Amino acid sequence: MSDYTVVGKPLPRVDAREKVTGAAGYTADVRLPGMLRGKILRSPWPHARILNVDTSRAERLKGVHAVVTGRDTAGLRVAFVDTPRYPADEPPLALDRVRYIGDEIAAVAAVDAETAEEALRLIRVDHEELPAVFTAPDALTPGAPLVHEADYPGKTIWEDWGARGRPQSEPVPRQDNVAARTYVEFGDLGGGFAGAHHVREDRFEVAPVAHAPLEPHAAVAFWDQGGKLNMHVSSMGIFYKRFVLSKALGLPPSHVRIHKSYVGGAFGGKIDVFPYEIAAALLSRKAGRPVLIELSREESLTTTRMDFQATVRVKTGVSREGIIAAQDIQVVVDTGAYRGTGPVVIFLCYSYNIPVYRVPALRYEGLAVYTNNPVKGPKRGHGAPFIRFAVDSHMDMLAEDLGIDMVELMRRNARSQGEVMPTSGDVLRSCGLKDAIEAAARDGGWGAKRRQSHWTGSERFKRGVGLSACSMFSGSPYYPFASAAVLKLADDGGATLFAGTVEMGQGSETTLSQIAAEELGVPLSDIRIVSGDTELTPIEFGSFLSGGAFVTGKAVRLAAEDARRQLLEMAARLLEADVRDLEARDKVVSVKGAAHRRLSYGAIIAASVKQASGDPIIGKGYHKSVPDAGLHPSLSTAKGRWTEAYGFAAQLAEVEVDTWTGRVRVLRVVTYHDCGFPLNPQIVEGQIEGCVSMALGQTLQERVDLREGQVFNPDFLNYRIPITHDTPAMVSGMIHSQEPHGPFGAKEVGEGAVSGVMAAVANAVYDAAGVRITSLPIMPARVLAALDAARARGGRQEGR
Amino acid sequence: MKELVQLSVNGQTHDLVVRPERTLLDVLREDLGLTGSKRGCDLGACGACAVLLDGRPVSSCLTLAVEASGHEIVTVEGLARGGGLHPVQEAFVEHGAVQCGFCTPGMLITVTALLDERPEPTEAEILEALSGNLCRCTGYVKVLDAVRTAIRRMRQPGLPGSVAPEVRA
Ligand code: FES
Ligand code: FES
Repeated sequence: MSDYTVVGKPLPRVDAREKVTGAAGYTADVRLPGMLRGKILRSPWPHARILNVDTSRAERLKGVHAVVTGRDTAGLRVAFVDTPRYPADEPPLALDRVRYIGDEIAAVAAVDAETAEEALRLIRVDHEELPAVFTAPDALTPGAPLVHEADYPGKTIWEDWGARGRPQSEPVPRQDNVAARTYVEFGDLGGGFAGAHHVREDRFEVAPVAHAPLEPHAAVAFWDQGGKLNMHVSSMGIFYKRFVLSKALGLPPSHVRIHKSYVGGAFGGKIDVFPYEIAAALLSRKAGRPVLIELSREESLTTTRMDFQATVRVKTGVSREGIIAAQDIQVVVDTGAYRGTGPVVIFLCYSYNIPVYRVPALRYEGLAVYTNNPVKGPKRGHGAPFIRFAVDSHMDMLAEDLGIDMVELMRRNARSQGEVMPTSGDVLRSCGLKDAIEAAARDGGWGAKRRQSHWTGSERFKRGVGLSACSMFSGSPYYPFASAAVLKLADDGGATLFAGTVEMGQGSETTLSQIAAEELGVPLSDIRIVSGDTELTPIEFGSFLSGGAFVTGKAVRLAAEDARRQLLEMAARLLEADVRDLEARDKVVSVKGAAHRRLSYGAIIAASVKQASGDPIIGKGYHKSVPDAGLHPSLSTAKGRWTEAYGFAAQLAEVEVDTWTGRVRVLRVVTYHDCGFPLNPQIVEGQIEGCVSMALGQTLQERVDLREGQVFNPDFLNYRIPITHDTPAMVSGMIHSQEPHGPFGAKEVGEGAVSGVMAAVANAVYDAAGVRITSLPIMPARVLAALDAARARGGRQEGR
Repeated sequence: MKELVQLSVNGQTHDLVVRPERTLLDVLREDLGLTGSKRGCDLGACGACAVLLDGRPVSSCLTLAVEASGHEIVTVEGLARGGGLHPVQEAFVEHGAVQCGFCTPGMLITVTALLDERPEPTEAEILEALSGNLCRCTGYVKVLDAVRTAIRRMRQPGLPGSVAPEVRA
């Protein structure tokens, strides 16, 4: 056990009090004098040419202060991915076309929401409907309508950071609807399959799901006298948002300030810069007043990204002992009307899969396909849930084919510490995967429960257990590449930590404060944190890419180390002792072995200001996600360094299948997460529990009901996220693997554990009832159909 | 067109002139600046906007301000009394039942109402009471832990964080 006093302890969150009293300010809680309400006019057509937008009647309505359309955006296009290969493709307000139901056409700012809505009804849009495509296979058919007729290279965001641009600045005509492709091949694939003892191939499908954070998206914009744009946003990374907003509005980055707001859950769904945010800024500039745009629940669920619809094909050749010899994987995702993070998710499916099992020969192809559906974006796990669902369902099937226990099969193929990832060269400096698999199997009662479906003694209710594993990186090269932190000591020996982190529920304000307190040798209550403001804090990598604890945490630790060093040097001068003879604890520095020679932190800080030419003690630290990597790795070839550390998890699900109704009830989920070192075990547990709950929603019930581009369940009555009654018993354990590069040995937690649950449940359903469900969600109708088919054929059965 | 309403919120009386279609949630947030109650769905489906109306939890997004006229309303801002947190609030803090915090005000209102009505609810009653409060962050595990702790605390006035019934009323 560690002898730390602050980190590693389940201390209450530093933001909890504000949150339980209703004092915590979220974006929609901001109130500014003269603030207007903004509303967006959206396309009711999946695909149409916009001929003319007439806003004159809306402008004349009493109470309307500004109306903006594509004419106010100067041909602008933005996107999460904006590289020379994949240039930005989304106009914030329609230029000449709309491409999905919900696409933004115009925006209005008025004295209140009702007036703004009335104004929207007065805008006339002359249009011509165009043929549309709604599935990836249809979109890939030769001759299918093109969702985008051209790419617009222009100058991309990445070129500012050294990526090589394309000489082309004219639009490049498109031939097909392939938005992005990732292709990876290594090893002797042909030989691997030819020499394999057994080869099987399976196909899996995953329905699109919504992030559904409780806080709907919102933005407040106001301009100050100096022409600076100020915003409150529902965000996951304020420096990234500032950068894209500054580009979009043609301002230097320092002329955009993101102010602090708490964020009511994000799960990947709040990282992108959205058209409504740009619209708020444009409206505010035009009206000369602050503007708040609060999206409705329906808008949040349909127009701010959702997770991908995906099809995964997996083919594996194994030896008699079950050792993987070769694997061929294809992932096809429907990325919607704009690229969104399509190019990233098909790359990530490769890179989240590769750290789990050793594969000597692999072919991987990922395709992201444009359709006239809502745009897709990162959702907790960003591809990991569906690739892990496919691969670990497939592994369970291989285990049965070979007559090898799944735990044994996983153990034989699982990677371990020291292994180097193909194509990226990432090294697993810490890897508790095998320990996690064994612990989950043990705590879940694997040995006693597996293949004992009749243990309930009931013909109707069958129980089973299933297992899966997953991995997740800890921070990766992406703008702004690095995090910095500043720790300013106060007169009383306490300190203020300045860090750009956005608190969106993950507990970053708490864990970062704990790191600073530990390193400085003060209690947690002595640290104040200033976060979530681009003006007040140094650059921060972002509370996404799972980089918060790993990258920013390291920067905070270095800043505190720096402050502590200065404190001790000053103390050494004052106490006339050697720095090496000093010890610091409880806000007192004393000389080892001479406890009477001591000074309080407060006294040392005061002396520093008084004596050392007025020097206050301010520590600074910075850290890069992947120190030796220049730019991001290639999304299309997966070459290039990707991350310094991977977190791992293994998960076991115990289910009960009602063979009369097809209903699956999850009784218990056991998760063992290798998070390196838990900085705050209570927060780690909370993250795992949240992951499990969200994953169970995706596994059993959640599905965005999309038909012809229209979402039929855009509200919480019809899009049902898990409630208290759906909560199974959860066991959430931690594997300590001590990541050498992480602060105090910590690495990713909060995202990985969302990915193993689907396969664990699907495998448990098979164990219980003998039916294999390969399409998510595992709804009663699917289970019943599979059971009927199984009965008809007299045995265990593969179902869809 | 407009109507005069008298809202008593957290013990303070407000006379307001509102359009009859405005919801209590709107009036609390916009007119009274009480932004503790959250707008999660505007449809009665998420519980983030729950407030106490004469001690019973209601969705303020489904309640018209005119309906609330003359009634006693308590929002999350009114739970803590005399500088200290309500025991339910304390238990939420202590157990890590708060993550993003957006569902928290509604949860606290629901739990407070439940415990006022049934100081010793069964597990099933707790699950049922909270089934209308969505939370996307916690997976409910720590929320339920917090509720159990709050029940124990409120039953045994000697324990830290407990309050005498008259303070709670
Ligand atoms: S906002 Fe009222 S129940 Fe969701
Ligand atoms: S804490 Fe985020 S929704 Fe409950």
